Amino acid sequence: MAVSWRSWLANEGVKHLCLLIWVSLNVLLFWKTFLLYNQGPEYHYLHQMLGLGLCLSRASASVLNLNCSLILLPMCRTLLAYLRGSQKVPSRRTRRLLDKSRTFHITCGVTICIFSGVHVAAHLVNALNFSVNYREDFVELNAARYREEVGGLFPGLTGVCMVLVLFLMITASTYAIRVSNYDIFWYTHNLFFVFYMLLMLHVSGGLLKYQTNLDTHPPGCINLNGTHFQNTHLPEHLSDHFHESFPGGFSKPDELTQNTFVKICMEEPRFQANFPQTWLWISGPLCLYCAERLYRCIRSNKPVTIISVTSHPSDVMEIRMVKENFKARPGQYIILHCPSVSALENHPFTLTMCPTETKATFGVHLKIVGDWTERFRDLLLPPSSQDSEILPFIQSRNYPKLYIDGPFGSPFEESLNYEVSLCVAGGIGVTPFASILNTLLDDWKPYKLRRLYFIWVCRDIQSFHWFADLLCVLYNKFWQENRPDYVNIQLYLSQTDGIQKIIGEKYQALNSRLFIGRPRWKLLFDEIAKCNRGKTVGVFCCGPNSISKILHKLSNRNNSYGTRFEYNKESFS
Amino acid sequence: MGQIEWAMWANEQALASGLILITGGIVATAGQFTQWYLGAYSIAAGVLVCLLEYPRGKRTKGSTMERCGQKYLTRVVKLFGPLTRNYYIRAFLHLGLAVPAGFLLATILGTACLAIASGIYLLAAIRGEQWSPIEPKPKERPQIGGTIKQPPSNPPPRPPAEARKKPSEEAAGIPTGGPQENPMPVNDEVV
Repeated sequence: MAVSWRSWLANEGVKHLCLLIWVSLNVLLFWKTFLLYNQGPEYHYLHQMLGLGLCLSRASASVLNLNCSLILLPMCRTLLAYLRGSQKVPSRRTRRLLDKSRTFHITCGVTICIFSGVHVAAHLVNALNFSVNYREDFVELNAARYREEVGGLFPGLTGVCMVLVLFLMITASTYAIRVSNYDIFWYTHNLFFVFYMLLMLHVSGGLLKYQTNLDTHPPGCINLNGTHFQNTHLPEHLSDHFHESFPGGFSKPDELTQNTFVKICMEEPRFQANFPQTWLWISGPLCLYCAERLYRCIRSNKPVTIISVTSHPSDVMEIRMVKENFKARPGQYIILHCPSVSALENHPFTLTMCPTETKATFGVHLKIVGDWTERFRDLLLPPSSQDSEILPFIQSRNYPKLYIDGPFGSPFEESLNYEVSLCVAGGIGVTPFASILNTLLDDWKPYKLRRLYFIWVCRDIQSFHWFADLLCVLYNKFWQENRPDYVNIQLYLSQTDGIQKIIGEKYQALNSRLFIGRPRWKLLFDEIAKCNRGKTVGVFCCGPNSISKILHKLSNRNNSYGTRFEYNKESFS
Repeated sequence: MGQIEWAMWANEQALASGLILITGGIVATAGQFTQWYLGAYSIAAGVLVCLLEYPRGKRTKGSTMERCGQKYLTRVVKLFGPLTRNYYIRAFLHLGLAVPAGFLLATILGTACLAIASGIYLLAAIRGEQWSPIEPKPKERPQIGGTIKQPPSNPPPRPPAEARKKPSEEAAGIPTGGPQENPMPVNDEVV
């Protein structure tokens, strides 16, 4: 189908523009540094000794500088959440860029990996050349102290350690490991701090030096006292000229000016190590990230008070809690940490109910998959009472201590800022939209949203019970306010055994909106386009990748009603 | 922590180490280091490690993502039986392959990485993990007509089942059941 250029530009354009800017920055840095070491007069002798290896290693080092500093920025989640919510980033287009922060982090990581490989290979060749091209003239320039020695021990050692740390981090960060054993990824990724410390030590070695006295000793000049610094690459006519003028006498001082072929050295070349530029590059982002972690640590120090724990069908548990000074916007998520369950693990959950001005309670719905959630449920709801809904009184006093970190932003916050939004949820992915619906229930007038299409696809009909009450109350509220088309609910049961076809006797509004089978997305998009001509519709999906891909493709397509679909996606792992 | 499958991580590490060994070997032979034959060895060792580690083993719980095109190598690796299934053997094999490359500066990184991978494989072996090949699932052919046991003996409209049940002494010779009488006898032709 024809791709609508307007839709494509809105959906993908800014993202690709930023990528282009980043790539050009990298290319520019690489090229500039390469030329500096290839042709710069202060590196003339060093280049003579080391050749291409010098230029490649320094150029890749400058690219590594840039990427090591940029890679920390997308991980400052509190800062990003603040930017998302504040008026500092007014345009929705720029806010949507923040959705791609994880992808940018991964891109920088892959770049670091590749250029580290180039850097290491080039330095290996440098080490060889330091040893092979050893000359007594430039003892202080050479990293090796004598021929046949491999010089540069300290930077080399820190470099090897950094590569090993990087190796551990990268091998644990592949998609397969993240999906199957998230723990390995999380624990090894925290080694980044060791990496940065080693990086700071690595560049303080001062191995590669530049020449400081270029005016008194231009490179390639002739020393009248004996040793000459003429390199073997001087063209023929210059060496002839040298043989002619030298026996004749001394050359006059004005022959030292730049247009003469042969220059006379006034003194020996002096070398000095470069100031470690890397410290300037990485100190800013590293301090910012450390400050943010400290802030998050302090903020999450107080435990929350659990008000109620409810068990829902299909292995879902709802927890309602309060914490003072906790503010969150609908669509944000928090990270739960329960030391009684596991001292080291943290798990993110989307808020299903946000605190409002009148009510300070907030809540999460957790699906019980995996060992952490199972143990958590056993602590909160002892196995005997899991099937019944009545909790004995003594339970409320024995809740374990629970700490939360957050809230952090997510793309779903934008759904209230579009005039028309399409929200598609798959299974437990309904949680971000539940907080949106709760907010609309509270008060819908302050937001820009005027029409919400809510599609919820589940495999098991019992799952609809999680939010059936909320949906019915919301539906009734809008009916009473004479805005029946504000929320359009469609529920889909994708797999059916044919036995149970209604959600419950009291949910008549939902029963009549329940369809058996999978949604037909193309027809849905066509219908939304037709009913909202010329508007911009925000598409939000929280569910399996297959649905997400289809929606993305359909959002970029053309339609004859002039409606634009902007696709907003959250990337999980 | 108790449910981590270390073998998967060790597999990724060994694959990456193989690539590092190959790269280091290329740098050593192309740059004509003094002991370049170690570089050539490192390339060969790297290729062997990559081929052995390319097929990902099956996880004990849950589904495993296959690497692209790994089924051909899975067949080859499966042929070696216990040699490739057991992680102790793999750990010591990797350690042994890594040691000679440690004598040349260019390939020392490959040695270190492969040694780490071998350590993790040892850990996986101690915890009793094993390599099992990912088999393609045989496609189940839908049985056409498998649920049709006996076609109805009367054309519609048919009375409900209770009225169709006849007393057993009458059922013997008369093919019809119920008030409908068939002009021709109806048999069950489907097995």
